[in-house]
Amino acid sequence: MARMKFICDADRCIECNGCVTACKAEHNVPWGVNRRRVVTLNDGAAGEKSISVACMHCSDAPCMAVCPVDCFYRTDEGVVLHDKDVCIGCGYCSYACPFGAPQFPSNGEFGLRGKMDKCTFCAGGPEANGSDAENAKYGRNRLSEGKLPACAEMCSTKALLGGDGDVVADIFRTRVLNRGKGSEVWGWGTAYGKPTQTSLATPTTGEKK
Amino acid sequence: MLLTRKPGHSGGHAGASDSGLVASLARGVSRAIPTMDRRAFLRRSGLGVGTGIAVSQLALVQKKAQAADAPASGKARKVEIKRTVCGHCSVGCAVDAVVENGVWVRQEPVFDSPINLGAHCAKGAALREHGHGEYRLRTPMKLVNGKYEKISWDQALNEISAKMLELKKQSGPDSIFIVGSSKHSNEQAYLLRKWVSLWGSNNCDHQARICHSTTVAGVANTWGYGAMTNSYNDMRNSKAAMYIGSNAAEAHPVSMLHMLHAKETGCKMIVVDPRFTRTAAKADDYVRIRSGSDIPFLFGLVYHIFKNGWEDKKFIADRVYGMDKVRDDIMAKWTPDKVFEACGVDEATCYKTAKTLADNRPSTVVWCMGQTQHTTGNAVVRASCILQLALGNIGVSGGGANIFRGHDNVQGATDVGPNPDSLPGYYGLAEGAWKHFAKVWDVDFEWIKKQYAPGMLTKPGMTVSRWIDGVLEKNELIDQDSNLRGLFFWGHAPNSQTRGLEMKKAMDKLDLLVVIDPYPSATAAMAAMPGKDSELNPNRATYLLPAATQFETSGSCTASNRSLQWREKVIEPLWDSRTDQMIMYQLAQKLGFDKEFTKSHKLVAGKGGMMEPEPESVLREINKGMWTIGYTGQSPERLKAHMRNMNVFDVKTLRAKGGVDKETGYKLDGDYFGLPWPCYGNPELKHPGSPNLYDTSRHVMEGGGNFRANFGVEREGVNLLAADGSCSKGAEITTGYPEFDHILLKKLGWWNDLSEAEKAAAEGKNWKTDLSGGIQRVSLAHGCHPFGNARARAVVWNFPDPIPQHREALYSTRPDLIAKYPTHDDKKAFWRLPTLFKSVQEKNKDIGKTFPLIMSSGRLVEFEGGGEETRSNPWLAELQQEMFVEINPATANDRGIRNGENVWVTTPTGARLTVKALLTERVDRETVWLPFHFSGRWQGTDMLPYYPNGAAPVIRGEAVNTATTYGYDSVTMMQETKTTVCQVQKATA
Amino acid sequence: VPEAAGSASASTATAPAATPALAGPPAGFVAPPEPKPDETNAQRAKSQPGNNAPFWRAVRESGVNKGTSSLPGAEQGVLVQPFVQYPGSRYTNAGDAWRQVRNEWIIPYGGALIVITVLAIALYFFTRGPLGGHEPDTGRQIERFTYFERAAHWSNAIAFCVLAISGLVMAFGKFILLPLTGTTLFGWLTYALKTAHNLLGPLFAVSLLIVFFTFLKDNFPNASDMQWLRKGGGLFGGKEPPSGRFNAGEKLIFWGGVFFLGVIVVVSGLVLDKVIPGMAYQRGDMQIAHMVHGVATALMMAMFLGHIYLGTLGMKDAFKAMKTGHVDEGWAKEHHELWYEDIRAGRIPARRTAPDDRPGQPAAQV
Ligand SMILES: Nc1nc2c(c(=O)[nH]1)N[C@H]1C(S)=C(S)[C@@H](COP(=O)(O)OP(=O)(O)OC[C@H]3O[C@@H](n4cnc5c(=O)[nH]c(N)nc54)[C@H](O)[C@@H]3O)O[C@H]1N2
Ligand SMILES: Nc1nc2c(c(=O)[nH]1)N[C@H]1C(S)=C(S)[C@@H](COP(=O)(O)OP(=O)(O)OC[C@H]3O[C@@H](n4cnc5c(=O)[nH]c(N)nc54)[C@H](O)[C@@H]3O)O[C@H]1N2
Ligand code: HEM
Ligand code: HEM
Ligand code: SF4
Ligand code: SF4
Ligand code: SF4
Ligand code: SF4
Ligand code: SF4
Ligand SMILES: [Mo]
Repeated sequence: MARMKFICDADRCIECNGCVTACKAEHNVPWGVNRRRVVTLNDGAAGEKSISVACMHCSDAPCMAVCPVDCFYRTDEGVVLHDKDVCIGCGYCSYACPFGAPQFPSNGEFGLRGKMDKCTFCAGGPEANGSDAENAKYGRNRLSEGKLPACAEMCSTKALLGGDGDVVADIFRTRVLNRGKGSEVWGWGTAYGKPTQTSLATPTTGEKK
Repeated sequence: MLLTRKPGHSGGHAGASDSGLVASLARGVSRAIPTMDRRAFLRRSGLGVGTGIAVSQLALVQKKAQAADAPASGKARKVEIKRTVCGHCSVGCAVDAVVENGVWVRQEPVFDSPINLGAHCAKGAALREHGHGEYRLRTPMKLVNGKYEKISWDQALNEISAKMLELKKQSGPDSIFIVGSSKHSNEQAYLLRKWVSLWGSNNCDHQARICHSTTVAGVANTWGYGAMTNSYNDMRNSKAAMYIGSNAAEAHPVSMLHMLHAKETGCKMIVVDPRFTRTAAKADDYVRIRSGSDIPFLFGLVYHIFKNGWEDKKFIADRVYGMDKVRDDIMAKWTPDKVFEACGVDEATCYKTAKTLADNRPSTVVWCMGQTQHTTGNAVVRASCILQLALGNIGVSGGGANIFRGHDNVQGATDVGPNPDSLPGYYGLAEGAWKHFAKVWDVDFEWIKKQYAPGMLTKPGMTVSRWIDGVLEKNELIDQDSNLRGLFFWGHAPNSQTRGLEMKKAMDKLDLLVVIDPYPSATAAMAAMPGKDSELNPNRATYLLPAATQFETSGSCTASNRSLQWREKVIEPLWDSRTDQMIMYQLAQKLGFDKEFTKSHKLVAGKGGMMEPEPESVLREINKGMWTIGYTGQSPERLKAHMRNMNVFDVKTLRAKGGVDKETGYKLDGDYFGLPWPCYGNPELKHPGSPNLYDTSRHVMEGGGNFRANFGVEREGVNLLAADGSCSKGAEITTGYPEFDHILLKKLGWWNDLSEAEKAAAEGKNWKTDLSGGIQRVSLAHGCHPFGNARARAVVWNFPDPIPQHREALYSTRPDLIAKYPTHDDKKAFWRLPTLFKSVQEKNKDIGKTFPLIMSSGRLVEFEGGGEETRSNPWLAELQQEMFVEINPATANDRGIRNGENVWVTTPTGARLTVKALLTERVDRETVWLPFHFSGRWQGTDMLPYYPNGAAPVIRGEAVNTATTYGYDSVTMMQETKTTVCQVQKATA
Repeated sequence: VPEAAGSASASTATAPAATPALAGPPAGFVAPPEPKPDETNAQRAKSQPGNNAPFWRAVRESGVNKGTSSLPGAEQGVLVQPFVQYPGSRYTNAGDAWRQVRNEWIIPYGGALIVITVLAIALYFFTRGPLGGHEPDTGRQIERFTYFERAAHWSNAIAFCVLAISGLVMAFGKFILLPLTGTTLFGWLTYALKTAHNLLGPLFAVSLLIVFFTFLKDNFPNASDMQWLRKGGGLFGGKEPPSGRFNAGEKLIFWGGVFFLGVIVVVSGLVLDKVIPGMAYQRGDMQIAHMVHGVATALMMAMFLGHIYLGTLGMKDAFKAMKTGHVDEGWAKEHHELWYEDIRAGRIPARRTAPDDRPGQPAAQV
């Protein structure tokens, strides 16, 4: 069974925010809620690099572990989804998530945040695939249409790869071999634990150590 | 990237508690309990986000969300996929628009596109917002007592045309200036030039003037055509690439897809820029130069190339004119110490850069606004050409001058659109050109001539960069009867031209201001904003007409690499907007030249059943006449077949491998994607287009070529044609040869290859004017290039500086360099206007004492151009919410400025901008940089009250061009936007 | 042969005599430096192109040295939360560290503490039964709590109970309630309770303040408290040692529970509620506030379980005192002997409010 993962190749990402707006447009995500964002380190100085980050759909997901109402679930493909009907907007998932993925429509005064929203890996939510209800709450369900995440599909430089972990790792490995360079994969250590034999040729990860 | 597909069914709720009864119970309850859906999100986010969308606008967003969320369940619905092309930059990324019952509901990547492989930057990924258009102008409006009032189309068209005719009667047709658009399709741009001609004036222009005019003039005069020689795709073949004055990562993001791929396979990437850009962040080497000092740097490279014998001697000997003179000039003037003094780059760096380019051939040079937007722009771009000629990189796959163009169709609009000095296809304005077009248009030449004021038919018009002076300059100093009294902004923003303060005055002085644009609001607000009462013309009439976007009509557009792509119409024109071609036609009707206007093409019913020119038939008209640049082979049928079968084109070569279009049976095999011009002959000839210009390694019928013979055959006893043996593959003439005409054909004994009909048409004609296409057909059949085979000119003797010379910017912080490298003398009548150089520079010699910082400007990836369109797109607007100035931390510290604080940016014009300070090492201590996409604040005040109701963009900010200074290129009137001066102070109030 | 090309400009091909065919690199041309372990990524890109180790270090540190993002927001530049070690967690990113503290310590041990407390109380109750009842009722009533005191206490107590129950559901509901109700019903319930918790918290804070000042005067420790404590308050046999108006046990609850834990719970709760002005409310702040809140509330709940037990089942007529405000002289003598004596001696007025029409006579007046 495919295991969905994201890779963002920092040597390619040019901070064009294509992935960010692709997500906004595909799912009609409102102003202020950012399922995906791009972060640049060393901005404006030599060594500047950017990484696009959203929910990494962690293997041992901290958000899932702390949710007081257990509204998270994981699909067969390893996508971490949640049920907005159940969510109480407590914000715990956002405290726990290493990557800052969970988002809230409101600022949380008196703990009133509204229902959590986060990247769904374009896989919708618990409602019937492709239904109006699903679309209204979670946006499009691209996976059920046989498509991959809008952000990765539209990434301007193909820095952002999303899909079956083995396949994206393969693509990335090929690139790395071409470059003859290190094969650091953003966030994999944190999100998916230590890399397995199949996931990467050289098991150096950003999170290692 | 489709990596894997989701298997048939994806897991539902996998929570432990969710089995059977419990689950159904849970679901049942869920229906009874309302959840936070998107609309609720919107309501809340509006309250939660201070900088967010104003509450008044939320209602609109909600409606939009409703429209967009059109149900996705199984009810009977009409779903169509329309293939279109992103309208934001010249990369030309294809988009599949999913349209449901006439509503644009989704956007899908086109993986098949060889140009973008499904990729998009922020603007392209947010394209669907055009299907909402919530912040657009919805109806025609008129400015009445300082407020915009809704009027009907009829009233608008009647009043505008009446006013135009009145002005024509009083002051002649040249009293009106039409600013056209690079956002128009080829067909619209072409029609607009025709429309202005039939009105009787050459006073029209478009963005290319303030974008790549210096490139077009400089490069065309060097080797033939002023366009990108290769393609984004071809950069995959480069072994080294130098970006000098291009920030592709922000301005042409998807081009980086190809470059980064090349880089992974070993291409060395160098960025030369005053600013450490996001592109520089991706480069192997970054070289910081002082803004406006490209010539010293480029010639610093050429110096090392010649000094070390790295030049391509055979290439120069065979194909270049004047390189010896250039070399002598450079070796004498640009020794490393002088280079260092002028641009700040030391010898070692120049050496290393030159060596990288020389050792890793084919190497390419990429340039964009960093080179063009200077008073010396035409010379800077020629310096780049000289570098590439010295290295023998032109006409080579992987090499070339990869000049990244600007707007989605600026290439096309330059080729066939509203230029003041030329008819479509660079035919110029000589009588011969007019006669050619009289034929193409099927209009009597004398009739056209009569439309013009006497003597004005062949005289180039003013430029968009100078319309302000056309209004404000003393009448006796301008080279036409009347000053400008009427102005059309037909798809152009006001904040993109320099000298904003004076523009406001000029705008107030007009008698007629018409803005035809989906987002006319920047101009609208500027016009409605009170200026000095004494300067306001009490009779000024101001109209806003809502134009449809490119997604509400069909037509072709030309990407930077000269490929044409056909856009299908995605949706009907939104609100009360009309297509540009319809507006042109309807105005022509009122102005009385509609018959002439539409004689040569078909009319079809457009919005509301009203007639408008049919894009296909207009393209056929273009095909019929545009022999000069090979816009003749790209019939609508061929282009559409390409769009339908993108998958057959190779990503690296752009060439079709096999492929038959199902709909028409057209065989694509061998075509280059989008038939990059020149695509010679008529469509039946099946010229495949030219992927890389001047490439002698291919047959001309395979897209090969050589330099153009456009400057005679000999100069001062020196041969201008290519050396013997240097010709495109398979050419029957293996020496240099001049351009083809009836005489040459006869001399060569090829005349009889023409059919009788062709002979009749070709008699007395040349390859550009023979409407039968016979001359081209025959020359191509013999493997020869219709435009001849000549040398590129390293010395462009007809320009002010035949060998490119460095000249300091008019406003420079370096009096020492002004003394050494002074600018040109003032010009009296240049594009109809007196144009100052030396007098301005002299007067401001010591300006650096009061304005010590170099002020430069440019692009952010999220916004485009003047930005009204993209700042009205909430998905983009959210990503850049404030206008800022990039300032070096040290410079800021000296002024007590901290990151995020408000500062005043002041310039010698007296303008004062309030913006946020962004402290960054991107810029050096002497330089500040501002994005130019903002408008809607004017020297500290919000212009919101002056916008037409509901048509203000989501984000507003100070326009940098409110503060930019005087300065124009000595050939093309390009405005100086990249190198001027300013002072930055902490804002106290 | 290229030189043979017939054109006049062929001379361009020959290099100028002045320039040697092969000039070496100019002065100042230096080879790339050796890589060093503590380089920045920019330096590393030169010394060892493609090795991005310094960059990945920066990614790890982005929680401390934030990157930039064009989106507004305090933490948009953080890629991974800072690496920390909270008490009880491993050294890991703050999110996961918090999760470890909450899920591995606060939830299990906090839960255990409460369960043990409940069990202990139950055991006590079933083995020893309620305290008191050794002094017979006299029928004479003493005013123990004024109307104001009772109002303050009960509004505080009610708020506390709602907060505790809602808090407990948030913390433990998913283990106990969720399997019974199913997700949606549980979600709905928890949402209601959570909202109540969030809104009631600040009210609780106010009422706690009132309670504190109301009962402060009689909760100052004095000599008798030591005595009382030494004898274990008589909880485990023997006669209840004499005490003032409040015995040392109550004072412990007052200072330890109401004051110390109360303040901690209230402050941390108000942080979690994002109602303290001028705070950034970044994730790290929230995690710490939560952990503090979690620990303090667990202790507070355990403590007040004892208080509640004694105030209801655990001591005869204690509840009546708080309900009606009056106690029988006998009760007062048995449980707060010193206070009773003070009243008898008139050192304390037996009634602080105007007499109402309640049955019974204030005894001490006699
Ligand atoms: N996102 C976005 N993309 C766009 C556009 C847009 O508005 N937004 N516009 C499109 C258009 S119309 C155009 S023309 C292109 C423009 O594309 P670019 O020209 O790449 O963009 P700019 O930011 O204007 O300028 C490029 C660089 O020139 C540098 N520069 C300034 N002065 C000098 C100099 O003297 N010498 C050198 N060598 N460099 C200098 C600046 O620092 C800047 O980094 O982008 C197109 N693409
Ligand atoms: N300081 C400074 N100034 C600059 C530059 C710089 O780098 N620095 N760059 C310069 C350059 S390179 C350029 S190209 C210009 C760009 O500046 P502009 O071209 O003036 O800016 P845009 O906002 O792209 O203007 C295009 C207008 O066309 C409208 N439009 C879009 N589609 C259609 C259509 O189908 N029909 C009609 N009628 N209108 C349509 C849009 O709404 C928009 O108002 O700015 C120049 N100005
Ligand atoms: C000023 C008073 C209080 C405030 C403002 C407050 C606020 C909060 C907040 C904001 C939360 C986080 C959950 C959410 O966002 O809904 C929370 C959790 C909690 N609170 Fe309170 N609270 C207060 C008092 C109390 C009291 C008195 C108790 C119990 C004695 C209590 C017990 C809990 C518990 C058990 C949790 C759940 C912890 C978990 O799930 O890990 N709170 N409180
Ligand atoms: C359902 C819950 C509660 C019940 C049944 C209860 C019951 C009682 C009773 C019966 C008394 C009187 C004891 C006496 O006469 O000495 C009392 C006193 C008191 N209670 Fe409660 N109580 C409850 C919750 C609380 C809470 C949540 C607080 C504060 C956080 C609190 C603070 C006090 C205080 C301050 C006193 C006065 C005694 C002292 O200062 O130690 N009570 N309570
Ligand atoms: S990235 Fe964050 S939200 Fe996504 S699964 Fe991991 S912990 Fe949960
Ligand atoms: S905010 Fe919602 S999803 Fe996140 S932990 Fe709380 S209940 Fe679960
Ligand atoms: S996977 Fe889908 S939901 Fe997630 S960030 Fe990408 S586009 Fe948004
Ligand atoms: S679209 Fe790709 S390149 Fe652009 S910001 Fe996102 S990940 Fe980076
Ligand atoms: S703006 Fe340019 S690069 Fe971006 S999607 Fe559009 S065409 Fe492509
Ligand atoms: Mo441009």
